[in-house]
Amino acid sequence: MSLRDKIARDEFVVCAELGPPQSCDAAVIRKKAGYFRGLVDAVNITDNQTAIVRLSSIAAGKILLEEGVEPIVQMTCRDRNRIAIQSDLLGAAAMGIENLLCLTGDHQRFGDHPEAKGVFDLDSIQLIAAVQQMNAGTLLSGQVLKKAPDFYIGAAANPFAEPLEMRLIRLEKKISSGAAFIQTQPVFDLDQFGRWLELARRRGLHERTAILAGVLPVKSLKALEYMAREVPGMRIDPAYLERMAAAAAPQEEGVTIALELIRALRAMPGVAGIHLMPVLWESITPRIIHAAGLAPAGSDLRTDS
Amino acid sequence: MTNTSPTSAHSPLATRSAGPFSRRERWLSKVMLFFEDCIKVPLFHCQHCGECILSHTGFVCSQRCPKRIRNGPCGGTGAGGRCEVYPERMCVWVLAWRRASLLGRLKLLYRVEKIHDWNLEKSSAWLNVFTGRIDPPQWRVPKEALPVAAAPENPAQDPQGERTTHSTQEEVK
Repeated sequence: MSLRDKIARDEFVVCAELGPPQSCDAAVIRKKAGYFRGLVDAVNITDNQTAIVRLSSIAAGKILLEEGVEPIVQMTCRDRNRIAIQSDLLGAAAMGIENLLCLTGDHQRFGDHPEAKGVFDLDSIQLIAAVQQMNAGTLLSGQVLKKAPDFYIGAAANPFAEPLEMRLIRLEKKISSGAAFIQTQPVFDLDQFGRWLELARRRGLHERTAILAGVLPVKSLKALEYMAREVPGMRIDPAYLERMAAAAAPQEEGVTIALELIRALRAMPGVAGIHLMPVLWESITPRIIHAAGLAPAGSDLRTDS
Repeated sequence: MTNTSPTSAHSPLATRSAGPFSRRERWLSKVMLFFEDCIKVPLFHCQHCGECILSHTGFVCSQRCPKRIRNGPCGGTGAGGRCEVYPERMCVWVLAWRRASLLGRLKLLYRVEKIHDWNLEKSSAWLNVFTGRIDPPQWRVPKEALPVAAAPENPAQDPQGERTTHSTQEEVK
């Protein structure tokens, strides 16, 4: 069942995330696809995340399709103007890519080409509206498409950045522009996430879109500390830092924390699914999905992971 | 120019480009920009986008954002509302939100701002309002809920919906 159908049926959704390699090695993507096949509903493919050059997200999406994994292609506004975005999206649609996550994109200053020109011709909300219009059969120029794409549009939300009210205004704008699902930044502060969700529920936003809460399994204390320090707009409950520091086996503790978070998030009304982001640790996905009881019936845990 | 396309006027995202600037308009724009700068640069750090939305953003220029987001803020606002790219600065969208709340203009932040028309870059927004290239500033805060806040489930069915407030101005002209 596709992501779109599953969300339409109000079933609990599990998405994962895959970072394409910094090379043209398709085998890496095929190998990572193996961790997800049959276990998750769809897999995000990041678009040059943190502004570091990687294999194209649309090309990686095509490889995932060949591997039998449903891709969610991320599209950022940092590297393309409106001409390139629309052209790339038509190409993606032609190759059978259906799900799209519209993002503004990390600033190029954080990446491996800090001297690059940032495009930012559109922002994420305008991109969502543009894709919605392409779905309806028109380009931004007004040109009518003989065959219109049918993208299932998603967007991102960060419940942890300030100010909270502005986050909800922006969330509402994204939903009004056409975002059918929302993936949040990784949750490491359940209280703050709860506050954000409560406000979203009060505005009825969870009924107009599917909110997928981000969960990021951490491998080590260093990784968590790095996120707390370097990733802008992240909020991490100090209790998790203490637990990771005290743990004899940090990897196991990381998995335990992820499982706890999944359990807590599932219990929250308004959460339609989770978005698992095992950054550089894709191999842990099967274990977490199985341990969380989210694996579809009939799939067994492969021990090689 | 692009506005020759018959459907472009119906696009909720199309910028209302009235064609290229004439020589006379360019000259006028330069003169107007001089006076505009005298006010807007010291008060708002105007970035001369030519498509002014100061009245929607609590009179904080959104174009100071390193990503030049017109529907901000991005997800990277750091602790205390700092900009993720230049942490020594405040996020302009946090400032916009603060000032909009102070002035009771929060409702205007719900508008989905149009895609920027780069032809208007470094031109006078005042002249552009006068010549009908851009919408006039919205001084009055709408009493009723904004169309965008109450948009239908699927905006594709009602692409004109969120732009109705703008197009009335256009039709009068």
